[in-house]
Amino acid sequence: MESLPVTEPVLLILLSLAEQPRHGYAILHDVQEMSEGRVTMSTGTLYGALRRLLDDGWIERFHEEDNSRGRQAYRLTASGRRNLRQEVSRLKQLTRVASLRVAGKET
Amino acid sequence: MFFLYRSLLYLYPSADRHEFGDEMTTVFREVQSEATKQGLVAQALFWVREVHGLLAGALRAHLRTITGIHYPSPIFSRRLTMRSEFRFPKATVTLMTIILAAVVMAIEKATAIENSIAPTSPHVGPIQPAHFTFLPTLLLILSFGCLMGILGWVVLFALHRSGAQRLADFDPSQERTAGGGLRI
Repeated sequence: MESLPVTEPVLLILLSLAEQPRHGYAILHDVQEMSEGRVTMSTGTLYGALRRLLDDGWIERFHEEDNSRGRQAYRLTASGRRNLRQEVSRLKQLTRVASLRVAGKET
Repeated sequence: MFFLYRSLLYLYPSADRHEFGDEMTTVFREVQSEATKQGLVAQALFWVREVHGLLAGALRAHLRTITGIHYPSPIFSRRLTMRSEFRFPKATVTLMTIILAAVVMAIEKATAIENSIAPTSPHVGPIQPAHFTFLPTLLLILSFGCLMGILGWVVLFALHRSGAQRLADFDPSQERTAGGGLRI
C-alpha cells in the first residue's frame, strides 16, 4: 500500500483500531459512530480494506482468549500506528490551510 | 436471503473466501439482525449495500489476484486523496452516447423516408444513400468519437489544470513569509 494518503474508509478503520483491538462488527459500528452515520460500510468493503491492511502490515490479527463466537479481532501494528499518525498530521496541515483560506475569503 | 449472501461469497477467489468467508458471514448475520429491527427501508438499504459491496469486493479481489495491485473501493475512495490525476468525465461519455444514439436514429429515419417515396420519375428519384451503408457509417462515427475523446483527454492531461498535486505537496510549515502569513 502506498504510505499516504489513505482512503476515508481505511482511515476510519485505522482510527477505530487505534483505540483498542476490535472485530468486524465492532469496527462497522465504530466507523458509523465516528462519521455520525455518514459512512456505513458493507461487509465486502470492510473485509476488502482489512485484507489490504493485513497484506501491508498495518494491522494484525489479535487472538482473544474468548473466541467462542468465531469472531476474529484485529489491532494496529507499530507500522500502522506510525502511518496513521502521519496521515492525521497531513490532515491537520490541510485543515489548517483550509481554515486560513476560508477565513481570508470571508474577511 | 442468507443463502443469497453465501452464494455471492462464491464470487470471491477461493483463497479470500477461505480466509474471510466465515468471518464475513458472522458479521453479516449480526448486521442483518440489527437491520431487521429497524424496518423495511433499513432492510432494503442494507441489502443494496451488501450486494453492491460483495460484487465490487469480489471484482477487486480478482483484479488483485491477477495484477497483484490493490484497488481501493470506488465508494468514498476519492474524498481524502486529492491525487494529481485526470479522470475522463462521466458527463462526456453520457453526452457522446446520446449524440451517437441521435445519429443512429437520424439514419434510421432517413432510410424510412427514402423507402416511403415512390420512384415516379427517373429524373426525380428517391434520396440516394450515397456510397456508404449503415454498419460502416456507425463504425466510422464510433471511431471518430473515440479519436476525439482521446485527443481531448490528451489535451486536458497536457494542460494539467487541476492543481491538486500542488496542494498535496504543499507544506505550510515551510512556506511562511517574513510577515508570518502563509504564502500559498
